[in-house]
Amino acid sequence: MNGKLYWKQKLPVMFLNVLCMVGLAVFLWVTGNSIDGIFLILLIWIAVLTARLVAAYYSRREQMKNLLKLAEQLEERYLLSEVMEKPVRADDLVYYRLLKLAGKSMLEQVNEVRRERTQYKEYVEQWVHEIKTPITAMKLLCENNHSQVTAELLVQLEKVNRYTEQALYYARSEHTEKDYSVREIRLFDVVHQSIAENKYLLLQNGVGINLRETDDTVYSDEKWLCFILNQLIVNSVKYRTKQPVLKFYTEHQGSQIILCVQDNGIGIDAGDLQRIFEKGFTGKNGREALQNSTGIGLYLCKRLCDKLGIGICADSEGSGTSLRLIFHINDFIQQVQD
Amino acid sequence: MKYRILIIEDDVVIQTQLRNLLAGNGYETEAINDFPVSMEQLKSFQPHLILLDIKLPGSDGFSVCSQIRTFSDVPIIFVTSCNTDMDELNSIMLGGDAFVTKPYNTAILLAKTASLLKRAYSVNGQETLSCHGITLHLESGKIEYADRQTDLTKTELKTLYYLFKHAGTICTRADIVEYLWDNRLYVDDNTLSVNINRIRDKLSAIGVNDFIKTKHRQGYII
Repeated sequence: MNGKLYWKQKLPVMFLNVLCMVGLAVFLWVTGNSIDGIFLILLIWIAVLTARLVAAYYSRREQMKNLLKLAEQLEERYLLSEVMEKPVRADDLVYYRLLKLAGKSMLEQVNEVRRERTQYKEYVEQWVHEIKTPITAMKLLCENNHSQVTAELLVQLEKVNRYTEQALYYARSEHTEKDYSVREIRLFDVVHQSIAENKYLLLQNGVGINLRETDDTVYSDEKWLCFILNQLIVNSVKYRTKQPVLKFYTEHQGSQIILCVQDNGIGIDAGDLQRIFEKGFTGKNGREALQNSTGIGLYLCKRLCDKLGIGICADSEGSGTSLRLIFHINDFIQQVQD
Repeated sequence: MKYRILIIEDDVVIQTQLRNLLAGNGYETEAINDFPVSMEQLKSFQPHLILLDIKLPGSDGFSVCSQIRTFSDVPIIFVTSCNTDMDELNSIMLGGDAFVTKPYNTAILLAKTASLLKRAYSVNGQETLSCHGITLHLESGKIEYADRQTDLTKTELKTLYYLFKHAGTICTRADIVEYLWDNRLYVDDNTLSVNINRIRDKLSAIGVNDFIKTKHRQGYII
């Protein structure tokens, strides 16, 4: 509470008191009281008034301080009116009621938006599942009727599937609920899976695959991880050079297993490297290369990684990019199993 | 003997194409067109394996699965677009043997089908393929001609397997590469040439010449 302002607003009261004091003094003097008597009365008056004002100031200050503290401790501040003590002063009560009303309408709004979001998320999920049926039908039609045209179509279908998956995972990543299940997975099984999902894209672009296969296992969600790898593979193909090669290998570092996805593409500018995981960031390559870049792919990867507790970082030295997914091996899980 | 596979899927195009795909791979197929699924129809077909969609008109795949499990242990593969963990867990809890999500990789679907059939009806003896008196031993990875044998690498074996399976027709290089990729062998065009040459060397070592013929600009044929 601003003390200066408080006292300034008390000036009229004090002025009124002084006025009354002067009036009383004049009256007493005229009616023939002694100067000492008048001074005594005035002194007592001033003492009582000061005590009252100071006490009121401190109690008010304490009250306000408590309220501010309460508000600071609350995570959802719009709920303040629900937890604060009901005030006793008449004008405070009015403010209290206003606060309650504001809080209530706020709560209604928040719930409304939350419900809409959930519904929208559910709609997106359902939509993705429904669109998968025609995609599957088209894919089967193409694979059963091999020709030059269907080969091209399959590449496009892979793309369609990828974009729909992206929409699905975007919807999922926005939500705070856990939509994943963590279990032990063999890293290279996921690598094989995402290569299979991008088979036509990789074959069409003549991408060489170089695996240093190991039996390393990590605890994570297979589908999310596969989605992340898909994004990395697509990026590598997007920013490829002649004779593209994609390398997958693992490294051990203390209690970490690192899955590296390395390409020999055009690489990333040192200046851009810090920002590639930002939403909507396209960088020099994204803008200059012929491909249109959305700045969503890596941002989503980062988000999903954060949720799964996987570290993700990029390296680029001149040409080629190496994306690392860092998994922490938890002794705890091992101990529980033993 | 041909294995009979029953397809329970309400999307007509997918159903037809799945039947084409499976028929092309040597399976006998049947599909159910009346929903909800009648168990009598299902029993009368006596399938060796069932492909089951989760979203079906009338009833869902889970309840169909648990109904089937009351009288049969036939392998069931769930094919679905619902790829949440709950669905996967449900399908396994109710007795499904595998779970393939749409849009499925046909190679993976076929591989799962084959391995489930193999496990359920344990085919006895070594699997072999023969063509022009040359025998390919799939289990041991050997090729044999007139009592002379030679070992093959995994890539060579798979390449030969594909050619044997399509004996008499031209196999394009792209198709062979795609098939190898489906088997997790990521070879490129050059590596395929190297492999074909190596196979020819190995074949001539056991006395077979000109087995794999090159069709210019088209591919290979045996």
